[in-house]
Amino acid sequence: MTCESIDPGHWRLSFSEPEAAFVVHILARLARHYQQDLMLMPPALRAYWEGRITRGEPAPSDKKALKESQEVLAEARAELRVERLALVENWISEFELAEQRDPWQVELTGAERDEFVAMLNDRRLHLAHELGITEEDMERDPGEVTDEARRNSILEIDVLGHLILVTLGPQIYRP
Amino acid sequence: MLQVESMPGVRILTPKRRDIDPSVNPPTVAVAGSATVTPFSPVVRPATAASPAQPATETSPAIVVEEKLKDAFARGWAVIVWNDPVNLMDYVVYVFKTVLKMNEQDASRHMWEVHQKGKSLVARETREKAELIVHRLRGFGLNATMESSP
Repeated sequence: MTCESIDPGHWRLSFSEPEAAFVVHILARLARHYQQDLMLMPPALRAYWEGRITRGEPAPSDKKALKESQEVLAEARAELRVERLALVENWISEFELAEQRDPWQVELTGAERDEFVAMLNDRRLHLAHELGITEEDMERDPGEVTDEARRNSILEIDVLGHLILVTLGPQIYRP
Repeated sequence: MLQVESMPGVRILTPKRRDIDPSVNPPTVAVAGSATVTPFSPVVRPATAASPAQPATETSPAIVVEEKLKDAFARGWAVIVWNDPVNLMDYVVYVFKTVLKMNEQDASRHMWEVHQKGKSLVARETREKAELIVHRLRGFGLNATMESSP
């Protein structure tokens, strides 16, 4: 996978065929997730998508303000899922219609590229929340993790992390 | 097979895997296939004072000062980012630069604070602005909250 700047504020992502198949599989999983009813999600995932505006018990004088802010955040998070679903469906459609898939190339604006990495990160966080993955888990050699589902999730989180860093590469790595 | 060179310690907020010193800037990491990747080219500029090129307004200096004071006193909400086991260190720095318009040094400092102390106060704003920042940070997957700030 590569990411190159084609114009100021425009980027081209290129994926080999296996990479493209993996990314499209992830996008399809995300599409299903973005459509899922919050009430049907496991509690940890539901909390992730509802978002908590604050931690701990707020001061009595802040309770009303924070309740309003919580409602604003929950509404914005719900809209975000709809917007991301539209983007994901668009990219999947582009892949299905692409005449060339090796490499598969996608051109994105800066804002779309940010959404792309944020969505890959959504998938990483979904996996972590679903399985309660901890910092200790992330520091272990995945080969030492005996539970297969957990090991596969950690490996997927790692691979997606690599894709995120390659996508942002031009901006986060020094020459 | 992904054509990504091994990047030790790309997992978030875990310096052990990175073999780097937190007191210095993040290290250079080579990425395979980077022949087509342009060198570092920041598009996000550090926050600066108002540009002198801004058009002049007819507002009197006294009103401007009063509005600035009012705005300063209204900035009563702190935005806090909390540590988590999954987000990548370089990704967090990128998000701080993008959302909060921090320069590289400040973004790295806040990222390390999150990692080492478990949280970092990244902005102090009006309630509405703090809500927006929390939403944008959460949109990138960072665990951000807000609380009133004396």
